[in-house]
Amino acid sequence: MKKRSSSLLGMAFFGPALVLLTIFLFVPMVMTLIFSFTDYFALNPDLTHFVGLENYVKIFKDELFVQSFVNTVCFVLIILPCQGIGALGLALLINKVTHCKKYFKVAFFVPVVMSLAVVSTLWMQIYSPEGILNTLLGNIGISTQPFIHSARQALPSIAVMSVWQGVGYQMIIFLGGLQAINPGLYEAAEMDHASEWQKFKDITLPELKPLCVFVFITVTIGAFRMIVQPMVMTGGGPSHSTYTMVYNIYETGTVNWEIGLASTMAIVFAVFVMALTVIQSILTRDKEEKHVNKKAKRN
Amino acid sequence: MKKGFAVAASMLLAAGCLAGCQKKQVQPGDVAGFDPGEQYLSLWVHSIEDTEEGQAYRQSVDRFNEVYNGKYFADIEFIPRNNSGGGYSDKVNASVMSGGLPDVLTVDGPNVAAYAANGIIQPLAELTLEERSIYLESILEQGTYQDKLYALGVMESSVGMYYNKDILKKAGIEVPEAGNPWTRTEFLEILEKLKPVMDEMGGYPLDMTFPVGEASIYYYAPFVWSDGGDLVSEDGLCVDGFFNSDEMVKAMGFFRTMVEKKYMSEAPIEHLFESGRAAFKFDGAWEVNTVYQNYPDIPLGVAPYVVGDDWDKGRYTPTGSWAYAASSNTENLEGATELVKWMSGVESGIRIWELSKTFPSTYEAFEQIDVFQTDENYRMLYEQLKEYGHPRPKTPVYPQVSTSFQQALESIALSGQDTKQVLDKSVERINAKLERYTRK
Repeated sequence: MKKRSSSLLGMAFFGPALVLLTIFLFVPMVMTLIFSFTDYFALNPDLTHFVGLENYVKIFKDELFVQSFVNTVCFVLIILPCQGIGALGLALLINKVTHCKKYFKVAFFVPVVMSLAVVSTLWMQIYSPEGILNTLLGNIGISTQPFIHSARQALPSIAVMSVWQGVGYQMIIFLGGLQAINPGLYEAAEMDHASEWQKFKDITLPELKPLCVFVFITVTIGAFRMIVQPMVMTGGGPSHSTYTMVYNIYETGTVNWEIGLASTMAIVFAVFVMALTVIQSILTRDKEEKHVNKKAKRN
Repeated sequence: MKKGFAVAASMLLAAGCLAGCQKKQVQPGDVAGFDPGEQYLSLWVHSIEDTEEGQAYRQSVDRFNEVYNGKYFADIEFIPRNNSGGGYSDKVNASVMSGGLPDVLTVDGPNVAAYAANGIIQPLAELTLEERSIYLESILEQGTYQDKLYALGVMESSVGMYYNKDILKKAGIEVPEAGNPWTRTEFLEILEKLKPVMDEMGGYPLDMTFPVGEASIYYYAPFVWSDGGDLVSEDGLCVDGFFNSDEMVKAMGFFRTMVEKKYMSEAPIEHLFESGRAAFKFDGAWEVNTVYQNYPDIPLGVAPYVVGDDWDKGRYTPTGSWAYAASSNTENLEGATELVKWMSGVESGIRIWELSKTFPSTYEAFEQIDVFQTDENYRMLYEQLKEYGHPRPKTPVYPQVSTSFQQALESIALSGQDTKQVLDKSVERINAKLERYTRK
C-alpha cells in the first residue's frame, strides 16, 4: 500500500511534465513522422494523400536539399574545432590570469546571453563594406572584402561570428572543470619536474575528458541547428551558400506550405543528428573503457 | 494502472485543448457593442494594435460599427506578423485545418492566388460598376484571380526611381517627363556618364542591392514586364517559356552589366544615397518621407521608372500590398463584402495615410490628400501608380517564384553564373511546386 501511494505521489510530480511533453514533443514528433509519408499541404489539408516513400526519394534527388546538407556539415566542421579548442584555450588563459578574472569571464560570456538575432545584426555592420573590419583591413593594406555578400566567404564569415557568440558558454564549462581538478595532482607532477606541456597533456586533458565529450556533442548539435544567422544576415545566399538544413525545412514548411515534404526533411535531419550523436558517444566511451581495462590489466 | 492514469490525463488535456480551438458562436452581449439584431462579423488583421497601422484599422472598424449600427457588428482581432511572414500566416494555416477562420481576413497581395486556388478565400459578392470604379486599376487587378474578384486592399504601394537633383545637374543630365521614361540603353549611357563623377565623390551612380525577401521581385520584375515579358503564364500555372524567356535573359544581363561596370556596389553600403554619394536609388514610396524627415539636405526627385527598349506603353511599375478578403468559412458573404468594402474604402484609405503614411488604394482618397497635389515627388509616385501600376505574378506558387527571382539575380548579376542555366534550374524548381496544381 505504501509503495502504491509513493508511486502515486511520484506520478503527481511527474504527471504535469509528462502531459506537456506528450502534447508539445511526443505527439508532434509522431505527427511529423506520419506527415513525412504524405503530401500534406498547409493551405489544403483536405487533399492529403498517403504517398509512401515518395518524399524521401524526392528530397535526395533535390539538389537544394543536398546543398543545404553539405553547407550544414561544412559549418559544423568549421565550428567544432574552433569552438572546442577556443573555449579550452580561453578557459586555460583565464585560469592563469590573476587580475581582473571576473572581468574576462563576464566579457567572454556576454555574447552568449545576447540574442542571436541581435548579434547577427551587429556583425552585419562589422562585415559591411564600410564597417570596422574592412576599415581595419584597409589600414593594413588589404582591399575591401565582401564577407557575407560573397558565395565563398559567407559561410566562414558566419562561422567566425557564431564561434565568437557561442565560445563563452563552453569556456565557462571548461573553467568549472579546471577548477575541480585536484591541485595535488599538479603538485605531485611538479615534484617530478614535469614540464607545463606534460602537465597539460597528462593531467588537465584526461581530467577534462568527460567535459570534452559533453562539449563536443552539444556544440555539434547546436551547430547543426543553425538557422538564425543566415536568416538574418544572408537569407541563405549568396547562391544558396549559407542555406542550411533547418532553414530549408522552415522555408519548405512555412513559406511554401509543404508540410509533408518539410516533415520528411525534419525526419532525415533528426535521424542523421541522432546517429551522429550515438556514434560520437560510442567512440568516446570505448576509449575510456579501454583505458580503464588496460589499467586494470597492468595492476 | 499507472499507464492508464497517464493516458487518461493526457487525453483529457488534449480534448480540452481541442475544445478550446473550436470556433465559438458569439452571442449578442458577449462583446461590447454587439447588440441583438446585428449580424456578427469577425475580422483578422496582420498587425499589432499599438502601431499606427493597427490604430488605423481599429478606428476604421469602430466607424464601420457606428455606420452599420443595428445591422452588422465587426469584431477585429490583431495577430502580429513577424518579418519573415510567420505568426499571422501560421495562425491562418492552423485555422484552415481546425476550421476556425474568421469572416474576413487580410491576405498579402501576391498570396491571393494561392489562397483562392486552395479555397481559403471566396469571391466577394458582386460589386456594382460604380463601387468598383473608386479603386485604382492595380488594386482590382491584384485582387482578381481567374476573372473573379477576391480581395480589396486599403493600402497600395509603389517604388520610385529616386535621383539626387544636384548630382544630375552637375553631370548635365536632364530627367525625362512622366510617360516618357529612359529606356535601358539610354539609362546605361547615363550611368556611364555618371561613373567618373561618382568615383570622384567616393560613391556609385546607383544605390542598389538585390535584397533577400520580397523586395527584389517587387523592385526589379518591372524590367521584365516593360520589355513585354512575364514571369508566369496568364493562368499562373506555367513558367517554362516565361521565367526563362528572352526577356528574362535580357533583364538579368542588364543587372549583370550594372555589377560588372561597377555602377553599383557589389555589397550593400548603408545610406549611400541618403549621404549624397549615389545619383539614383530604387526604393519604396516610404523613402520620400524618410528623406524629408531625416535627410532634408538631399535634393530628392522621382524619375519615371526605366523601361525595356521594346516598351509598348503597357503597365509595368511595382504595386501591391495586404488586402481584405472573405474567407470560405463565412456564411454571411454579403456582410463580409460590406466590411471589405468599408475597410478598403475612401475614408479608411485617408486614415491609413494620415496615421501610417501608407498610400491609399482609391482615386478619391489620393485626391483628398493634399500632399499628392502639392508635392511633386508624391504626385509623381501617384501618377506612376495610377497609369502604370502592375501587380506581381498571380500564381498559387508565388513564394517559390519570388525566391527564385531573387536567387537568380544573386547568382547571375552578383556571381556571374550562366544566365540560361540558372533560369532553367529555377523553372525546374518552380515546376516541382506547380505539380500539385497541374496534375489535378
